[in-house]
Amino acid sequence: MTRALTEETAAVPRMQQPAAGAAPRRRWRALRQVLAPVLLLLPGAVLLALVLVWPFLTMLGISFTDRYPNGAALTLDKYRDVLGDPYFLRIILRTFGLGLVVTAITALLGYPVAWYLARSRSRWKHLVFLGVIAPLLVSIVVRTMGWTILLGNEGLVNSALMALGLTDTPLPLMQSFWSVVLGMVHILLPFMVLSIATVLGKIDPSLSEAAALLGAHPVRNFLRVTLPLSAQGVAAGSVVVFCLSIGAYITPLWLGRGQVTVLAISIHEQMVVLVDWPTGAAASMVLTIGTFVILALYGLAFARHARR
Amino acid sequence: MTQRALAGERLLGLYVGLILAFLALPILVVIPSAFSAGSTLAFPPQGFSLRWFANILARPELVRAAGISAAVAGVATAVSLVAGLGVTLALGRYRFPGREALRMLFLTPLVFPAIVLAVAVAMVLSPLGLVRSFWGLVLAHVVITLPYIIRTTSATLAEIDRACEEAALTLGANPWRSFRHVTLPLLRPGILAGVTFSFIISFDEFTISLFLVGPGMMTLPLEMYNYAEFSLDPTLAALSTVLIGMTVVAVLLIERFVGLGRHFT
Repeated sequence: MTRALTEETAAVPRMQQPAAGAAPRRRWRALRQVLAPVLLLLPGAVLLALVLVWPFLTMLGISFTDRYPNGAALTLDKYRDVLGDPYFLRIILRTFGLGLVVTAITALLGYPVAWYLARSRSRWKHLVFLGVIAPLLVSIVVRTMGWTILLGNEGLVNSALMALGLTDTPLPLMQSFWSVVLGMVHILLPFMVLSIATVLGKIDPSLSEAAALLGAHPVRNFLRVTLPLSAQGVAAGSVVVFCLSIGAYITPLWLGRGQVTVLAISIHEQMVVLVDWPTGAAASMVLTIGTFVILALYGLAFARHARR
Repeated sequence: MTQRALAGERLLGLYVGLILAFLALPILVVIPSAFSAGSTLAFPPQGFSLRWFANILARPELVRAAGISAAVAGVATAVSLVAGLGVTLALGRYRFPGREALRMLFLTPLVFPAIVLAVAVAMVLSPLGLVRSFWGLVLAHVVITLPYIIRTTSATLAEIDRACEEAALTLGANPWRSFRHVTLPLLRPGILAGVTFSFIISFDEFTISLFLVGPGMMTLPLEMYNYAEFSLDPTLAALSTVLIGMTVVAVLLIERFVGLGRHFT
C-alpha cells in the first residue's frame, strides 16, 4: 500500500509528498521526474538535431560563403546576388505572388466548405469530410498527371472545345501562371478547409443566435460575429497554405512546363545544374525568412488576441 | 426552418458538391486513362486494354523504385514512431521549461518550405557521402514523417483521461506497466493513423528526395517524373491507378478502425 501511494505521488509531480517518506527514495523519485522526460525526448531530439537543426545551420553558414567547398571569406555577396539581380527578383516576386494568390483563393473557396463541415446537420457531412481529406493522401505526381490529362493538348478540356467547334487547334492550357495556381489550389484547399472548420466548430452557436434575436441581419450577423471569431482559423490555414505554396517544386515545374520559374525551381537549378551551393543556400534563406516573417506575424496577431 | 434558410442550405450543399468534384476530378480522370488502348495519355481514352498495367512490370526501374520507396517509407516510419512516441509522452505528460518551444520546433517541418528542407539536408548528407544512399533517404524522410507521428499521437494522448493512468499507478503498477497496459492501448488509434499517414507521406514525397537520388537509388515519385519526361504513354496512369487503389484501401481501413476525422484537424 505504501508503494502504491508513493507511485501515485510520483505520477502527480505537483502533489506534495507526505512528510513520512524516506529521504533517499524521495530523491530518487525527484530524479526520475527529471530523468524520464529527458530520456523520452532523447531519441527525437537527436534526430531533430541531426536532420533539421544541423542541416539548417550548415545551410546558413554556406549562404555566407563565396564558394563551396573551400569558401574563403564571410560575405553577404550571395545575398546581394540574389536580392540585387532583376532576374532573381522577378522569381522571388512571382513565388511570393503565387503564394498570396493561392492563399486568397483557397480561403475564399474553402470557407463555405468549412462552414458546411462545422455547421451542417446533413447526413452527407461525413462523406464530404472524407472527400476533402482523401485527396491529401493521393500522390502529388498522380494529381499533377490528372491535370495533364485534363488540360493537355489531347486532354478532356481541349477535346471538348474541339468537339464543340469552339477551337480548331488545342489551346495551350498548361504552362501558364494560372495553370500552376489551379494545381496548387487543388493541392492546398483541404489544408485551408480543415483549419477553418476546426475553429468554426469551436464557436458557440448561441453567439450568432443572440445576434439574430437582437435583430441583426444574417449578413451583418456573419460579418460582425462569426467571421471575426473564425479569423484565427483563416489565419492558421493561410499560414500553412502560404508556407507550403512558396516551397512547392513539382507542381510549378510540371504544370508550368518551364514557363513558370519559382524560387524552388531556381534553387534546384543552382544546386544541381550550376552546382553553386552558396547561391542556392542564400535563395533558400530568402524562402526561410519569408516563412519566419509569416509565422511571426501570425504569432503576434494571435498572442495579442488571446490576451484580451 | 424558414424557406429562405432552406434555400440557403441547398445552395451551400450544391457549392460543396462542386468543390468536391473539383477535388476529385484530376484524381478520378486518371483511372479511365489507365485502361486506354491508345498509346498517348488522352481523354477520353481510346478503346480498352490492360496492357499498360502489364507494362509497369516490364519497366524494371519503376518496380525497383517502388521497392525503394516502400522500404524508405517503412524504415522512416518505424524510426519516427519510436522517437516520436517518446517525444509525445514527454511533451504531453511532463512539465518543463521550454516545452511549448520544443513542441513548435518538432512540428516546424510541417509548414517549412519543402525545398529548403531538401537543400539543407542535402548540404549535410552529401559531404558525408550519403547521396544515392538508402540511409541518406531515410534520414531525409524522417524530417517530414516525425512531425506527422508526433501530431497524430499527441492529438490522441490529449484525449486520454489521465485518471486511467493514475488509477493504474494507484493500484500498484509501475510507470512502465501503466504505459504498457493502459496508455499504449488507448494510444493505438493515434499510432495506427500516424503510421499510415507517415508511410503515405514518405512514399509520395518528391521534393525532399530531390537532391539525394541518383542512378540506382530513385524513389517512385522521381522515377515517375523521369518517365514522364520522355514518354507520356498511359503506363503512369496505370501505376497511378494502382496507387490510388492502395490509398483508398488504406483510407477505408483507417476510417473503419480508427475514424479519420480526428487526426487531421
